[in-house]
Order: sequence, then C-alpha cells, then structure tokens
Amino acid sequence: MFKQITDLQGNEWYLIISLWIFLAFFILVAILLFRMKKQHVNYMQQLPLNDGETEVLEEETN
Amino acid sequence: MQQLETFSYDNKIVRNFGIATIFWGIVGMSVGLLVAIQLVWPVMNFGTQFSTFGRIRPVHTNAVIFAFVGNGIFMGVYYSLQRLLKARMYSDVLSKIHFWGWQLIILAAAITLPLGFTTSHEYAELEWPIDIAITIIWVVFGINMFGTIIKRRERHMYVAIWFYIATFVTIAVLHIVNSFELPISAWKSYYLYAGVQDALVQWWYGHNAVAFFLTTPYLGMMYYFLPKMANRPVYSYKLSILHFWSLIFIYIWAGPHHLLYTSLPGWAQSLGVVFSIMLIAPSWGGMINGLLTLRGAWDKVRTEPTLKFMVVALTAYGMATFEGPMLSLKQVNAIAHFTDWIVAHVHVGALGWNGFMTFAILYWAIPKIYGTTLYSKKLASIHFWVGTLGILFYAIPMYWAAVVQGLMWKEFTPEGVLKYPTFLATTLQILPMHMLRAVGGTLYLSGALMMTYNLIRTMRKGSLLANEPAEAVALQPLIVNERSRHRRLERKPALFMVIALIVILIGGMVEMVPTFMISSNVPTISSVKPYTPLELQGRDIYIREGCVNCHSQTVRPFRSETVRYGEYSKAGEFVYDHPFLWGSKRTGPDLHRVGKKYPNKWHFDHLLDPTITSPGSIMPPYPWLIEQKLDTTNTASKIIAMRKLGVPYPDGYELQANKDLDQQAKSIASDLKANQVDVLSDREIIAIVAYLQRLGTDIKVKEN
Repeated sequence: MFKQITDLQGNEWYLIISLWIFLAFFILVAILLFRMKKQHVNYMQQLPLNDGETEVLEEETN
Repeated sequence: MQQLETFSYDNKIVRNFGIATIFWGIVGMSVGLLVAIQLVWPVMNFGTQFSTFGRIRPVHTNAVIFAFVGNGIFMGVYYSLQRLLKARMYSDVLSKIHFWGWQLIILAAAITLPLGFTTSHEYAELEWPIDIAITIIWVVFGINMFGTIIKRRERHMYVAIWFYIATFVTIAVLHIVNSFELPISAWKSYYLYAGVQDALVQWWYGHNAVAFFLTTPYLGMMYYFLPKMANRPVYSYKLSILHFWSLIFIYIWAGPHHLLYTSLPGWAQSLGVVFSIMLIAPSWGGMINGLLTLRGAWDKVRTEPTLKFMVVALTAYGMATFEGPMLSLKQVNAIAHFTDWIVAHVHVGALGWNGFMTFAILYWAIPKIYGTTLYSKKLASIHFWVGTLGILFYAIPMYWAAVVQGLMWKEFTPEGVLKYPTFLATTLQILPMHMLRAVGGTLYLSGALMMTYNLIRTMRKGSLLANEPAEAVALQPLIVNERSRHRRLERKPALFMVIALIVILIGGMVEMVPTFMISSNVPTISSVKPYTPLELQGRDIYIREGCVNCHSQTVRPFRSETVRYGEYSKAGEFVYDHPFLWGSKRTGPDLHRVGKKYPNKWHFDHLLDPTITSPGSIMPPYPWLIEQKLDTTNTASKIIAMRKLGVPYPDGYELQANKDLDQQAKSIASDLKANQVDVLSDREIIAIVAYLQRLGTDIKVKEN
C-alpha cells in the first residue's frame, strides 16, 4: 500500500514538505491550546447558554 | 459603570429562510425521487428534452445543496449569529437582499438547467451570469455577517462563528477560482482551464464545496444548537479549537482523491490520498465532541425528537467521514469509483448529516421564534423513524449495487476474457437495488412532508416574534492585555478571516501551482489535434444534454478497463478539452475510446432509441436531435474563444469554420444515407455523432 506514496519518481518531496507544513501548523495550534486559561475556556463553553433567551417550557402535546 | 442596552433580534429573516428551506427541500427531494425512478423506468423521462435524466439530475443536486442546505445554513447562521454576538443583524436591508437574491438564483437555476444551459462542472453547472449573481449575493451575506460581528456586544467569537467565517471566505475563493470562464454568449461559456488542470480545479472545488458548504457551516450550527437543545455546554472547547483548525487545514488538500487512477500527476493523487486519510482525525474529533456533549443527557434523547435527529446526524457524519478516507485508498477506489458507492456515500452525508440536522434545527427554532411549542412531538418522532428508514433503504441497496457492479466490471473468465463484456448486463443486474433506493427516497420525502404539516400547525399555534426583544451590556474598550494568543484572535474577526484564508490557500496552492506551471505534469502528444468545428458543436450538445452525468471519459489503467474500452487515457489527450468531461459516475459505459468503435448508423439508432442497439437500456431516447437544426451562427465565436484559450486554430479559421463544418456534416449524412438512414446534414444529431466518432481516436491503437 505504501508504494502509492513512495513510488513517485522523485516527486516524493511534495508529500514530505506538505506533511512538515501540517505538522508545524498542528504543533502551533497545540501550543495555543495549552496556553489557554481554564477560566476563558469555561466562559466560551457557556456562551450559547448565556444568550439571555428565556426557555419556553415544553408542554406535553398529543 | 457598564451600560445595559436594549435591542431586538430579527426573527423574520430566520423565518423566511426557514420556509425557503422547507419549500426547496421538498422540491429538491421530489426531483431526486424522479431521477431515481428514471434510472429504473426510462419512460419517466417523459420524452421531452427538458426532463431527461441528464438535464434534471443537476436540478436535483443544485436544489438540495444550494437551495435546501443553503437556505438551511442561512437560517441557522442568522439565528445563532445574532444571539452569540448579542446584536441584531447589521442591516435588515442586506438581509432582505440576501434572502430574495438567493431565491432568485435558485429560480434561475431551476429554469436554466432543464433548458440545457450548463457548464458541466459538477455542482457548479450554472452559467456565468448566475455565477456573477452568486458572487454578489455571497458578498452581501459577508458584509451583513461581518457588520454584525463588528457591532457585537460579546467580545469573543464562539467556535460556531469561526466555522461561519471559514465557510464565507473559502466558498468565496472556491466559487471564484472555479468560475473563470470565457463567455461566448449570454448563456454559454468555456472554462479557462482544460483537461487535467480543469479536472484538478473542479475537484478541488467539488470536494471543498462538500467541505465548506455541507460541512463547516453545519459544524458551526452543531456547536451552537446542540448545546441549546441538550441544555449543556459543548463537551470540550479546546477540542473544538483543534477540530476547527485541523479540519480547515486538511480538508482543502483532499480534492485529488476524486481523480485517482486518472491522468492527474501521481504526486497530486498521492497528496489527496494522504490528506484524505488524515482527515478522519479532525472529522471524528468533531463528531465525538458533539456526541459527548450529550453526556448525562441521553435520557432526553428518548423524549426530544430534535436530539434524536441530532444523534443520527452526528452518526451519519461519522460514517461518511470514515467512508471518505476509506474510498480514498487506491485499492478501494479501484472498485468503488464510478459505482453507486459514491452515490450512497454522498447520500449518507446529505440525508443523514445535512438533512437530519436541518430538520432538528427547524423543529427547535420555529417554535422558539413563534413563541410556542411544537404542534406534535409524536409526529416529529414518526418523521424521525420514517426518515431513518428512508436513509437505510437508500444506502444499503446502493452499497449492494456498487459492490455487485464494481466486481462485475472486473470479473474475467478462466480463459482470460471479460465475463460481462456487455456493460448493460451490469446495469440491468442492479435495477432491483435502484428500485429499493426509490423506496428509500419516498420514505425520506414522506417524512419531510410530515414535518411541513407539523411546522405549519406550529406556526398557526403561535405568532411570529419578528423583533424579539433582548438586552446586553455594551462592549467596553479592552484595558487588560490578553496573554493567550488564541484568545486575542477570538476577538479579532478580520485577522481571524485572514489567517483562515491563508490556512485554506496552502493546500490548493501546493497542488495547483506545480500542475499549472510545470509542463512535465501534462505531457503533450503531437498527434492530438483540436476538434473540428462540427465536433466542437457536437461536444457542446453533449454538454447541453448532460451526457457527462452518466458517461465517463477517462479509461483507467486497469486490465479490466483497457480490455473493455481500449488504451488507458493520457493527460496529453485532453489539452483542448474546455471543459474536461471525465465524469464521476458510470451509469453507462465510458466513452473515451468510443470513436470509430461503431458505425455512424449505430450512433444514430442509439440516440433515436437506445433499445434498438441495446435492448433493455435505461438511457432515454433523444429524437429531438434529429428534428432540431444545428445552430451554426455561433461557430465563429466558439473558434475565436477557443483560440483565446490556447487552442491552436489558425488565425482567420473562424471565417471558414462553417464551410468545413458543412462539408464534414454532409459526409456523415451521406454515410447514413448509404445505410438506409435519411437525415438532413444540418441536424444536431450529425454534430454529436461527429463528436462521438472523434473521441479517443487521436492516439487510438489500430487493431491488426
């Protein structure tokens, strides 16, 4: 199966560079995540629930 | 001191998009059911050129994608954006222009596609004037969205809004790049790209239209509506950040998996494979984040139809995003591509993920904006079960049909010849499965009709809160420096958009720039010549009739295909193909090597009534091609346009093009006459026969 991505007549570097770009990007996002404060995360999580809407109580129908 | 401001949410625009979602959903699904039935009983093509499968199938796809799902997106975005930002939409006028503009675009599509005005690019069939209208209305949507973000009362943008921003910016890029066309008349244009390059652009677009129209806005809506429905926060906000950035980065690279084993350069195919497999991680991250949001609330799933729909939507998303990477493996793709597997795969996503989430949001939002409760939860639950059965009845027979047909295409006898050399044998074998698929579609549509009744009764029960009052604290200037970079990013929409744009551009550029700039990626073949004027006209009729919806034009390098069709297709053979016509589904056989395979009379008979040459064929007849006169008034402008695009017609050739066209047409007509077919040489059928007889002959290996 790996012949699909290794046997490319010298064009393998397209894949290698692409994977390095992704890895660098992924690590950057991971660092940003680790630096986030729990307080902010909790605040953001609650945003949809804190939009000031009053819940209409569901009454049993049918 | 913080000042409390009062304002109102615009629910009328949400309601309008909601009604449009329901209306176009029923239209799109009904047309889908019609095309499903046409594939079993060709009589359902109704014998008119405006209702054949080739012309109607794009009506179905455009209606469900851009009309049903599109309006569903705008409904969800307009509802959630206002509440997440604690602000009314930026401009009511822009909201109205957006709404009516989008409906007019849909109407234009519904009129022009049956008339045969099509570019032939899948999911981008609309001709250039409508493309321009889409661009304008999309920009209106963007201005309205960013205007609302700018005047917000909530400092940080919730994850749902990031998905909306990524959707806006990426769809803009995809639509513009895939719409570079040279108009030759009000309703006809040629793509700037040709052959392999056109294929790469189209499937970069096609795949990412799935990603950024059918996926990212729905993920945004999931992150808003699921916590609202379950009344608990999203399981992991950090996971949502990782999900967002990984998904938009990886998705854009995966397009070439639609072109495996074609003449696209091998490295581009491999990039598509690798990134498609990687895509499973962020996709499942999102699905798991959604399902785990329901932790501790599973008891509600039993009683709340909205949550039932959401659970199946997320499960269907998980299935489709597992299946996508699997289909990208070359070994699987070799069997599954061009079969009903792709149709099943798409519909698990469309019916399960998009359809069910849209239903859930409608059931949840319509009672809210009407200040009431749902008319009947019981009916909604029945809709859920009927719809789920519909999905199963659709998908399972299609998988079955795919495996049957894929294996039949490849089966050889012990003597080394194809066991099913007649393509039609494999088509007829799967007709029972196609009938079952139509049953599935009927069930799904029935469920949608139940929902329509339920929601109409709900609307009558309440009254629209057109301007729902709300209050929030005005946004104060920021005096504390936020240490976290991502936290800062969450309050800077313009910067966020630019970074998202850069992220989505990387993949496309790495794949496209070398394919366009390095000539060795598309080796030219000296024997490949431009089409004659008559063949060019015939090609445009082939496009008009939507033949590409059922017939591919690319022979893959497998023994089973080269024995069945002939020499496998080379990149250099397509350099004058504006647009490429490789297709994505083989309801009928591949046509790339059909040239000179049969006499002219065979093609004439086949187009007049396919069952003359192929008893039992499900292809519709095309008798109007014999009756209609070929329009040659535009031959010169077509030649000039092609020359501008790089096709080497000599200078001034447009002046004698029609003379050559006439000469070739007379030659075909006289050959037909010699075979007892009396037809005028100026009819459309002559042009399409000329085109079909040319296909794949430039490098065709002569036998004996």
